[in-house]
Amino acid sequence: MTNRPNMIEFQDVHKYYGEYHALRGITASIRAGEFFSLLGPSGCGKTTLLRTIAGFEDISSGAVLIDGKHMEGVPANKRPTNMVFQSYAIFPHLSVEQNVAFGLRRDPRAQSEKDSAVAEALEMVGLKGYGKRAAHALSGGQRQRVALARALILKPKVLLLDEPLSALDKKMREQMQVELIKLQRQVGITFVLVTHDQEEALVMSDRIAVMFEGEIAQLADPETLYRRPNSRRVADFIGVMNFLPARVLGEAGGHIQLEAAGLGQFEIEPEQAPGAPTGDAASVGFRPETLTILYEGQTATDRETPGTIDEVVYYGDMTYYDVKLDGVEKPVRISMRNVFGRPVLDVGARTRVAWSPGALVLFR
Amino acid sequence: MKFSSLRIYALAYLLFLYAPIILLPLFAFNDGTIIAFPLKGFTLQWFSEMFANPTLGRALRNSLIIAVSSAIMATTLGIFAARAGTRFRFPGKGGILGLIMLPLVLPEIIVAVSLLVVLLGLGVNLSIFTVMLGHILIATPYAIAILNTAFASLDRSLEEAAYDLGESKWSTFRLITLPLVMPGLISSFLISFTISLDEFIIAFFLAGNEPTLPTYIFSQLRFPKQIPMIMALGTVLVLASIVLLTIAEYFRRRGIARAGGKDTGGFL
Repeated sequence: MTNRPNMIEFQDVHKYYGEYHALRGITASIRAGEFFSLLGPSGCGKTTLLRTIAGFEDISSGAVLIDGKHMEGVPANKRPTNMVFQSYAIFPHLSVEQNVAFGLRRDPRAQSEKDSAVAEALEMVGLKGYGKRAAHALSGGQRQRVALARALILKPKVLLLDEPLSALDKKMREQMQVELIKLQRQVGITFVLVTHDQEEALVMSDRIAVMFEGEIAQLADPETLYRRPNSRRVADFIGVMNFLPARVLGEAGGHIQLEAAGLGQFEIEPEQAPGAPTGDAASVGFRPETLTILYEGQTATDRETPGTIDEVVYYGDMTYYDVKLDGVEKPVRISMRNVFGRPVLDVGARTRVAWSPGALVLFR
Repeated sequence: MKFSSLRIYALAYLLFLYAPIILLPLFAFNDGTIIAFPLKGFTLQWFSEMFANPTLGRALRNSLIIAVSSAIMATTLGIFAARAGTRFRFPGKGGILGLIMLPLVLPEIIVAVSLLVVLLGLGVNLSIFTVMLGHILIATPYAIAILNTAFASLDRSLEEAAYDLGESKWSTFRLITLPLVMPGLISSFLISFTISLDEFIIAFFLAGNEPTLPTYIFSQLRFPKQIPMIMALGTVLVLASIVLLTIAEYFRRRGIARAGGKDTGGFL
């Protein structure tokens, strides 16, 4: 994947709305055939950035390139991109077939060829036989599929998806996530997805750009983003992360020596500190699933720390424990899979928590 | 059944609204020139008199020409203004839209007199064309108000989607925007048409020697003999209005059903 050519390039892209600085120097590239996500809270500029690819927004300075060509002055209807809108934007006065065939109006091919292209596109999104239906009589998930078929029938170089799953219920959303991944692999087109749902981004993407306030905070593959977020903010936005105050004691033999509240002194590798912090004002972060509650007779493979159960939240397959480590006021969250024969602990119970320095991330 | 005061109020209200209109057909078919009870007998004389009257025919033709033209013009201008108002941001937008809507609250007689002064000053001869100008002026704000709602409820991404799929701005408007705001267009056309058809003051000032339906009716009220014929004319107009309104409502509901939208009220 890494040696593929770039499909989209942003070169120091700025966008102003009057005084408001919506995009603050975006430089990034999206590779051909990649499933790429723009992830961030509302108002971070992710949709604006997507719309600069589509041609719906002019940029104030910088450059956007698609497949090596400058897009300045190229209007949306002449760009090799197609978009799936958040509201789906299904034309309500047309049938499913007419919606999907809409982009073929200017296609010089014979009607019979267009018809078979429409049938093919409908089959691809699982709507075979729905062609004659009125578009407004479809369910949310079906509208979504029509929007996909309509955008993909033009065989764009890039498919842009603006929060396409946010209007669906949880079950439908999870099903469409899987279908979108399959569809993307099948057609091999570059997908650019905008979402505020970190789980959705992690599940679907090859790479993710996390955006805050018009800037890309981190651009990485989902695993790197989850395991090695480069700032507390990114860490906080993606999943749950526990933070404990820490102090950098120094470096020895290529390791960073630390002291963290409740955990004592230990060493970590330099790549566990992507933000390169120094001195007192640091903190260590770890995910709930990297800690383990030890039961009678179990011993930690690496390190262990005593604590008291402060809160128990039972989810059926999982139990979330808030545990106060001895000497730390703020409890840390630990997620434990509920295994047959293992009891759920009570609030107030004393326990031992196993952890490993290798699972930590050090932040400024 | 309990007769609450609200129920009585509602009945009185309906009676007040419709009693005069019910009297129209009653006296239109009454065999007598005096508009009073008791009724004398059944006749179609007033209707045949009405159809045979050449001035009335001319007034009707003038009124229809004026009403159709000014409804088309007001709706067309309304489309431009409503589209600009709902889609674009430009300096002075609030002020400009406010000024466009002002004739809505301006006394019609003021509009009529000032138009007359301007037209005479410019040396324009008074005709049905000058009445048309006046009617476009007063009907356009109503058209804009109706079309604003139609354009504002149109999802912007529908237009973007069509543009994104390779259509030009103009073909997007023709293929997507226009069909979806069509119920609004029909409403706007009918309201403007009705405003023009029964408008008296401007027609009275600006028509010159040409009669329109309202000015003709007014002129005939001086002759008691003509009143039953006016009643017959009124009956025909009421019938025509009901037919027109029913057709409009049919198209409006069909448009909404086709677009899968929710019915948020209309004429009927």
